[in-house]
Amino acid sequence: MTALLVAEAVTRRFVRRPSLGDRIAAAFGAASDGRAVQAVTDVSLTLNQGETLGLVGESGCGKSTLGRILAGILAPSTGRVLLDGASPMQAGHKITTRIQTVFQDPFASLNPRKRIGDSIAEGPVAHGIVTRAASGALVADWLARVGLDPDFAQRFPHQFSGGQRQRVAIARALAMRPDVLVCDEPVASLDVSIQAQILNLFLDLRRDLGLTCLFISHDLNVVRHVSDRVAIMYLGRIVESGEAARVYAAPGHPYTRALLASSPRLGLDHAVTLRPIAGELPSPLAPPSGCAFHPRCPMASDICRQERPPLTPRSDGQLLACHHG
Amino acid sequence: MTLLQVRALRTHFLTRAGAVKAVDGVSFDLQRGEILGLVGESGSGKSVTGFSLIGLVDPPGRVVGGSIRFDGQELVDLAVTRMRELRGRRIAMVFQDPGATLNPVLTIGRQMVLAVQAHRRLSERAARALAAERLTRLGIPDAEARLDAYPHEFSGGMRQRVAIAMALLHKPDLIIADGPTTALDVSIQAQILVEMRALARESGTALIWISHDLAAVAAVADRIMVMYAGRIVESGPVRATLAAPRHPYTRGLLDSLPATAQPGARLRQIPGNTPALLSLPPGCPFAPRCGYADAACVTDVPVIEHDGRMARCHHPLEPRP
Repeated sequence: MTALLVAEAVTRRFVRRPSLGDRIAAAFGAASDGRAVQAVTDVSLTLNQGETLGLVGESGCGKSTLGRILAGILAPSTGRVLLDGASPMQAGHKITTRIQTVFQDPFASLNPRKRIGDSIAEGPVAHGIVTRAASGALVADWLARVGLDPDFAQRFPHQFSGGQRQRVAIARALAMRPDVLVCDEPVASLDVSIQAQILNLFLDLRRDLGLTCLFISHDLNVVRHVSDRVAIMYLGRIVESGEAARVYAAPGHPYTRALLASSPRLGLDHAVTLRPIAGELPSPLAPPSGCAFHPRCPMASDICRQERPPLTPRSDGQLLACHHG
Repeated sequence: MTLLQVRALRTHFLTRAGAVKAVDGVSFDLQRGEILGLVGESGSGKSVTGFSLIGLVDPPGRVVGGSIRFDGQELVDLAVTRMRELRGRRIAMVFQDPGATLNPVLTIGRQMVLAVQAHRRLSERAARALAAERLTRLGIPDAEARLDAYPHEFSGGMRQRVAIAMALLHKPDLIIADGPTTALDVSIQAQILVEMRALARESGTALIWISHDLAAVAAVADRIMVMYAGRIVESGPVRATLAAPRHPYTRGLLDSLPATAQPGARLRQIPGNTPALLSLPPGCPFAPRCGYADAACVTDVPVIEHDGRMARCHHPLEPRP
C-alpha cells in the first residue's frame, strides 16, 4: 500500500471577527472573549492508493472542514497536507487538479445559469486536459458514463432531478481525471431508491478508474457499504479509525458504540432496538476538558475529565483515543 | 377503538398544466394510541396526506374527494373556525423544520403560553407552569429558565423537542409528525424516537409518523403504510411487513438500503424514476419500474387483503425462503 494523500497534525481554527458591539466594548476596556472555534484539531490520517476512507461524525464534528482541507480547498491553520509528498496548495490556493470534490447539495454546486455541458467542460478546457473543440465529445462521454443521455449537455441544472444533478456533479469532478475524489455527503439529500443508484454508480466508477476516495457521511450504513477503512470524528478529533469491517464489528470507542446503537438498522428479524446516547454535542466554542466525549460517556472516570487520551494503535491495528479502550 | 377513518381521500394540486394527483384514493383506519408509520419517497404524497388530515393544504392544492372522520366528525369541508378548534387541541402537528415552526421573535415561554391560552382559559402563571412541565417531560433541562430563551438559543435537537412539547400541550388525541427527525443527527434522532414512542404510549396519543426512513419507522411504529405516487401500495404490522413485504415496491425499497446489502456489493436498485403525477397511466403506477409487471398491471390494480395486511398488486410476493 502506498500513501497517496496524507494529513499531518492538521488543525483548523476559525476566528470569529469581532462585531461592532464587541469592538465598542473592547474600546471601553471590556475583556475580549476572542472566540475561536477549533473545527479540526490535530488530525493525522492517510489515504492509501486505491482505497476508500469513510469519515463519519455528527454535524459540527469537523468532518466537512477536514474534507475541504484534504481536498486542498481550505488551508490548515497548522499542520500540512501532502499529495504524493507535495502540498496541494500554494499561497492559499489549490494548485492541483488531481483532487476533485463532489458536494452534498447539487443544487448549490452547479451554476444555475450554465448549461451542464459547459459546467462539465469548463475545468478540463481551462487546465488543458482537452481542447475546446474536443470538449463536446468529452462531455458526451462523461454523461454517458454517469448514466445520462449525452443530449442533456444543452440543459440547465433546474431541468434535472436531484439524483440526475448529483450524476452531473460526479461527471464534472471525474472529467478532471482526478486521482483522489472527496465526496462530502453525496447521497444525503437523495431518496432511498435514488441513493442506491448513485452509490452503485460510485462503486462502478471507483472500480473502473481505480479512484482513491474520501467519503464523508453522517450515515453509518452508507459509510459501511462503500469504505475500506473508516475514521470516526468527535468534536474536531478522530476518536477511532481502522478497517471498516473491524470497527463496525468491534467498535472500541464508547462514542462509536453509541453511534452504532443510535442508528436504526433493519436487522434480519427487523426488530429495531435503539439505545440513544445521553446529551448533545458540546459547543466547539467551549470543548470539555480531557476527553471531549466524557460528559456523555457511560464509562467516564476521573482521568477522562482531566487528560485527553491520545489516538494510539491497538494490537489489531485499530487506532483508538480512549482511556478505557 | 377507531380514532381516524380515512376513505378514498384525494388531494389534488390544480395547476395550469393539469391536476397533480398528490394523494389519489388513500384509505386507512387509525386506532386510539396507535403509532402508524407512513413511508414513501419524495413526491409520494405522504406529507400531503398528513397536511390534508389537519386541513393545512395550501392552494392550488385542495382536498377534492373522500372523507376524513376524526372521532366521528367529518373533517373534509369542515368550517375553518371548527377546524381551528380541533387543531392544536385534539390534532397537533410536528413539522420537519422546527426553525420554521417556532416564532423567532417570541420567547419559547411566550409562544407556549399563547398556544395554551388559545384553547384553555388559564392564567399566565398556570400556562407557564404547564409549559415548563411539558418541556421537562421532553428532557429539556432547567425548563423554567429556558422558557425565557428565544428559539435561536436552542440547538436543532432542542428546538425540535420544544416543537414536540408544544404539540403535546393539550394532550391531543392525534399527533401528525412529518419527518421530525430528518434534519437531526443520529444520536439526537434516537433520543427523540425513543421519547416520542414512550410519550405516545403513556398518554394514549395516536401518532402518524411520516418519514422516508424505513429503519426509523421500524423503530417507532406499530403499523406501516407505504405510499407510491399518491396511493398506499402496502400496509400492515411493521415487523411482518418489513420482514416479508408483499409489494415489489416495498421489496425494492428494502433492497436499496446499504444496511441490508453485503458491504461493497452493488445495491439492488429500483430501475427508473418516480412517475410524474400529472399524467399517471391507468393501472399500477409502479408497473413501469416493476420486474413482475405484465399486461394485467397496466389495466387495473387489485387489493389483496390477508392477516391484517394489504397490498395493491397483481403479483404479491411470497416470503423469501
